[in-house]
Amino acid sequence: MRLKPFFNRRGIIKEKISLNKFGLILFSFFTLTAVFALHLAPYDPWERFEPYASPNRYHLLGTNDIGNDILSELIHGSRVSLLVGLGTASIATLLGLIIGLVSGYFKGIVDELLMGITDIFLMIPRIPLIIILAAFLRPSFWIIMLVLGLIWWTTTARVVRSKTLQIREMSFVTSSRSLGFKNSYIIVSDIIPHLFQVLSTKFMLTTASAMISEASLSFLGLGDPSMKSWGMMINFAFQRGGFINEMWWWYAAPGICITMCVLSIVSLSFSFEREEQKVIAGM
Amino acid sequence: MKTFRKKAVRYCLAVFIIASLNFIIPRAMPGDPVVNLLGEDFSVSQDAIEELKAELGLDKPLPVQYLNYWRDILRFDLGYSYHYYMNVLELIISKMKWTLLLVAPAIILGAVIGAFLGSLSGWYKNTFKNRLSTSLFLAVYSTPPYFLSLIFLYLFSFKLDLFPLKGFYATGGLMDIMHHLFLPALVLTLFIASRNYMIMRASVLQEKGRLYVEYARAKGLLGRAVLFRHIFKNASLPVITLVALDFGFILSGALFVEIIFSMNGMGTLIYDALMSRDYPVLQGAFLIITLMVITANSIADLLYSILDPRVRLK
Repeated sequence: MRLKPFFNRRGIIKEKISLNKFGLILFSFFTLTAVFALHLAPYDPWERFEPYASPNRYHLLGTNDIGNDILSELIHGSRVSLLVGLGTASIATLLGLIIGLVSGYFKGIVDELLMGITDIFLMIPRIPLIIILAAFLRPSFWIIMLVLGLIWWTTTARVVRSKTLQIREMSFVTSSRSLGFKNSYIIVSDIIPHLFQVLSTKFMLTTASAMISEASLSFLGLGDPSMKSWGMMINFAFQRGGFINEMWWWYAAPGICITMCVLSIVSLSFSFEREEQKVIAGM
Repeated sequence: MKTFRKKAVRYCLAVFIIASLNFIIPRAMPGDPVVNLLGEDFSVSQDAIEELKAELGLDKPLPVQYLNYWRDILRFDLGYSYHYYMNVLELIISKMKWTLLLVAPAIILGAVIGAFLGSLSGWYKNTFKNRLSTSLFLAVYSTPPYFLSLIFLYLFSFKLDLFPLKGFYATGGLMDIMHHLFLPALVLTLFIASRNYMIMRASVLQEKGRLYVEYARAKGLLGRAVLFRHIFKNASLPVITLVALDFGFILSGALFVEIIFSMNGMGTLIYDALMSRDYPVLQGAFLIITLMVITANSIADLLYSILDPRVRLK
């Protein structure tokens, strides 16, 4: 699918973006499922039927150890997983944007300081840190999102900084500056619009990696017990005999959902990058 | 050399900040700090708690506690696990050996396979074979490592009965350990290779447009010779940095693989510590893992400055 070439305010054609078809279809599928979860799910995910049922006419994916319908859990789980991903990515991208912009635009000592902090944050092993925090906090859904967001901004900040460093030397920025516009104005109207590509790519990759992290945390039993995410379902299946009893549909379904959803987001993010820039580093 | 000194300062700062974080977390979190520092797995009388409080120095003011904390770290004392009745550092070292046995071959193999296939795929971009391998690696890349382990365990151990179901060894011989290690190491290798593949591919695509490539071609070198004699060296530089930066991520991936395969390494240690809320072990493990990541990063920096003459000259 091709989007119209879009123009910035000066009428310069920026790049055409052709969205990855596979990613787009798959991602829309998951988003729609999440939005209409209430209408799509055959049962309430907390309603109890006969436990340990194999897939049958009434329960397409069977039921789990306490008799919840697995398909309904799966459909409702898409909400939790996507929400954690998007929420985390929003926080992280915003933080990364601010830090990267300030350090790239003002350079000098501010830059040294902010990039020093970024380097240090970049080295903290993220999953172990979250495990520690989550172990002490008994986290709710929102805390997980906040904590993930607060440690995932580093690579975004770096990319935004290097892009800002490039843009601020361009002639239209110089002319704005010589016309006497304030820094804040130049940043908002000249620089931020040019960061769109970088930011959208980073936003999507952060979403994807946050979803994997949430699934990993939930697998360790550190998720929010009141919200059944896909990771939580795998955790239950692994803990409560789904694996030993060869009920593969119980853990394979949420696992495949996570993989497909992440895959769709990653391939979608490719659409915003030129071929030689497709580095999914630091995810 | 100046940049390296600046980096060294940053590494030291990072160690300092992370260790301080480790000090703050149990004291700032909700709940009783005695429990936060000792874990929830044991119950003692009120008197004993007071005694332990004095022993841990929790009745002293915070700055004194902080100094004591550093004194303990410098003496390599990471506390005592009341769950295992063991010194935390000894416990971690005894488990870390096994984890490294799993991680080290996977990192090396993953880097080699990823870099090799990735550079081929960047060079011959649009052939069917390379599209296929790119999609495959992308799929692996998007799978949470523990889910991949679950599938492999189910298929190869459970259904086909080719590999043992759990652990590092049954009888203890070399072949036995290798047999146990194969499947988890394979999962981890695939996982690491997929990340390196993507980076290498992008890197080769970028280098491909450079002038020196044109020159090598004009000299009359054939396709692959250009790739492996000239491009490979330059393109593999980012991989080195990223392997180091990824080290923390790889280690956490290994933790999950271990949990699935019930291997008695760091992953299982952390998992058990989580289940029994054995906080000293969790904190010690976090500190050690961080130190390892920072060490890996500084080694990569050194390596980079040796391998890349452009950096060396500065």
